[in-house]
Amino acid sequence: MNKNFKPKITLFHCINTFSDGASLPIAAEVDCELQSVKLPCSSMVKDVFLLRSFESGSDATVVFICPEGECRYVEGNIRAKKRVKRVKDLLDEIGLDGRRLSIFNISSGDEAAAVQNIQKAISDLADLGPNPAV
Amino acid sequence: MIVGEQKPLAEIKKTVAPYKKLLILGCGTCVKTCFAGGEDEVATLTSALRLTLKKDGKEIEIEELTIERQCEDEFIQEAAEAIARNDAVLSLACGAGVQDIARRFDKVPVLPGVNTTFIGVLEKQGLFTEECVGCGDCELATFGGICPIARCSKRLLNGPCGGSKDGKCEIDPDIDCAWQLIIDRLKTLGQLDNLRNYIPPKDWRSSNAGGPRKLVREDHII
Amino acid sequence: MNKKSLSQLQIVLSKGDFAVTAECGPPRGSDPGVISKKAELLKGYVDAVNVTDNQTAIVRMSSITACTHLLQMGLEPVMQMVTRDRNRIALQSDIMGAYSLGIKNILCLSGDHQSFGSQPDAMNVFDIDSIQLIHAVRAMREEGKDMSGFDLKEPPRMFIGAAANPFADPFEYRVIRLAKKIDAGVDFIQTQCVYNLDRFKEWIKMAREEGLTEKAHILAGVTPLKSAGMAKYMAEKVAGMDVPESVIKRMASVPKEKCPEEGIKLCVETIAELREIKDVHGVHIMAIEWEEKVGEVVKAAGLLPRPEPT
Repeated sequence: MNKNFKPKITLFHCINTFSDGASLPIAAEVDCELQSVKLPCSSMVKDVFLLRSFESGSDATVVFICPEGECRYVEGNIRAKKRVKRVKDLLDEIGLDGRRLSIFNISSGDEAAAVQNIQKAISDLADLGPNPAV
Repeated sequence: MIVGEQKPLAEIKKTVAPYKKLLILGCGTCVKTCFAGGEDEVATLTSALRLTLKKDGKEIEIEELTIERQCEDEFIQEAAEAIARNDAVLSLACGAGVQDIARRFDKVPVLPGVNTTFIGVLEKQGLFTEECVGCGDCELATFGGICPIARCSKRLLNGPCGGSKDGKCEIDPDIDCAWQLIIDRLKTLGQLDNLRNYIPPKDWRSSNAGGPRKLVREDHII
Repeated sequence: MNKKSLSQLQIVLSKGDFAVTAECGPPRGSDPGVISKKAELLKGYVDAVNVTDNQTAIVRMSSITACTHLLQMGLEPVMQMVTRDRNRIALQSDIMGAYSLGIKNILCLSGDHQSFGSQPDAMNVFDIDSIQLIHAVRAMREEGKDMSGFDLKEPPRMFIGAAANPFADPFEYRVIRLAKKIDAGVDFIQTQCVYNLDRFKEWIKMAREEGLTEKAHILAGVTPLKSAGMAKYMAEKVAGMDVPESVIKRMASVPKEKCPEEGIKLCVETIAELREIKDVHGVHIMAIEWEEKVGEVVKAAGLLPRPEPT
C-alpha cells in the first residue's frame, strides 16, 4: 500500500477532554496534517459533520469522547459512540471503509493517550491508503 | 405518523445514476420524526452520495432542500424553483409525498429515497411500532384500544391463536401478542366480556381491498 | 339430515364410541402413491384421517385433492382448511366442491403463519379467522346459505371441527375461546398434543364447568415421541406445546435404540389415561411421518376393532 503520503486527520473532541486538539504535543516525526474541531460535548458531532470531514479530504477522522460515566451531560458520549457506529457502517456502504473513522475514550487532560490514539489512526492508514474520494 | 426508513445507499446510487443535477428533497413532518427524510437526513445522504460517486470518479451536482410537507401543494410550491433547475428529484418523503411531487411536476422524474413502512408511533426514543393499517372502519372500542388487525400477525378478530406464549407472538419473540395485550387491557377495564361475543367477518370494503380510497369534504371545496 | 349423509366420524361419536382419528400430510409433489401408502397403513385402525392443508406453510398437494384420494381408497377424510391462503370467496367455493366430492368432515383453522414455511415471502390472506370460518360452514349446513345470505342449492353439510390448544397462553382465556368456537357451531374439537395431563385435565374441568363438553366432542391429540431430542425440540421450539421435564427425562433415560419403543409406550399410557377422563370422546393420533406406528398404538391401546362404517 501507499505508505508515502502525508495523512490528513480530522479530530472531533469534547472540550472537557482538553481545550484544543490543535495544540496536542504530537511528535514532529509524525508527519500528518491535523485539523481539530472543538465541541462543547462530543454528542454535538452529527453524522453529516463526520462525512463532510471526508469530503474535505480527511484520510481518517478521530472522535474523542469522555470515559463512560464521566460525560458532563450524562450520556453525550454514549450518543456520540452510537452515531459513530452508524457512520462507520455508512462509510462501508460508501466504499470508504468504516475503519477510517475511529472513536476513543479520553480522560480529561490525558494528552499522552490522545497522541497515542492519533498515531494509531495514522498507522492504520498504512493499510487503508489515502481517502479514495478526494 | 407515517414511518419510513431510508433506502440503502447502493440502491439510491443506482436510481440517481442517469442524472447530472439532482435535488434531494426532504419532508419536515413524519419522516423527519423517524429520522428518514428530514433536513439532517437530506444533508447526510447528500454527503454520502457525493463521496461514493466521487470515489467512483463520477461527479454529480446535488441541491438540498427540505419543505414542511410533501403531501400538500401549499408547501410543495416552495420547492417549485429548485425542482425546475434540476434533472430529477430524489424525494425522502413517504410514498404519498413522492407521488404528490410527481403529480404536480409531470415532466420531472421523481425517485423514492425512502421505504415507507407503516402508520405507527414513537413508542420510545428510537423505537417505532406499527399500530394502524388504515382499514377505514375503526373497531378499537371493542378491543380495548389495541388493534388486532395491525398488531396480530394473523389479523384474528376472534383471537388469540394457539401460538401465543408468555405474551409473545409465535412468529417472533420480539413481537408482543396483540391478543395478550387486548385481554390484559380488557381485564383491567373490566370489559373482558367484550370478547365472549362472536365478532363477524370484517367488511373490507372500507379498506384498500375496496380499491383506492378518497375522502371528499364538500364543506371545504369552493 | 338423512343418515346417509352423516360422516362415519359423526356416527361413531354420536353413538358414544371412543373415536380414533389420525393424520396424513400430503406430499410435496403430485404423487398420489404417497397418500395410498399412508392410507394402507391407517386403514382399519382409525375412523377418519385428517388431511393437513399446507401445514407449517409448506407448499404441498392440496388438502381437497388428497382427501379425494383417501375417499377413493375407502378412508374417511377430515379436510383441514386454513384461512391463511384463501379469502372467503375461495374458502366457500372449495367447501362446496369438497362436499360434492364426498368429503364430509372439515377442520377449520387459521393456519401457521407463512413465516415458518417454505415461502416466507408470500402474502397471506387471513380475510376471515377460524371462528368466522366455523360460523360460515355452519350457516351453510343449518341455513343453507353462503356468507352473503344467498340460498344454496344443495348446501354442503359438513361435520365441523376445530382445533383447541389447552396449553397456549393466556390460559384463563383458552376456555372462553373454546366457548366461542363451540358457539360458532363446532361439532368436534381436536386438541394440541397432550403430554401434560395435569394441565389438560384442568382445562377439561374448566370447559365442563362452562357446560362446553356437552356441546361438542373433544378428541385429545397425542403424538408418539421418537426420541429424547424430539421431546426437547417440541418443548423448546414448537410454539404452544407443553412437554413436561418428566417426559423428556423419561425419553432420555432409555438407550437411543429403545426410544421409539418407549415413545409408543408413553403414547399408549397417555391414551389409557385420556380414556379415563369423562368428556374426552376420542383421540387424534398425530404420528408425524410415522404413520406405520398408528396401528400399533391403536392396537396396544385396546381400541380395536374400529366400528364398521354403516
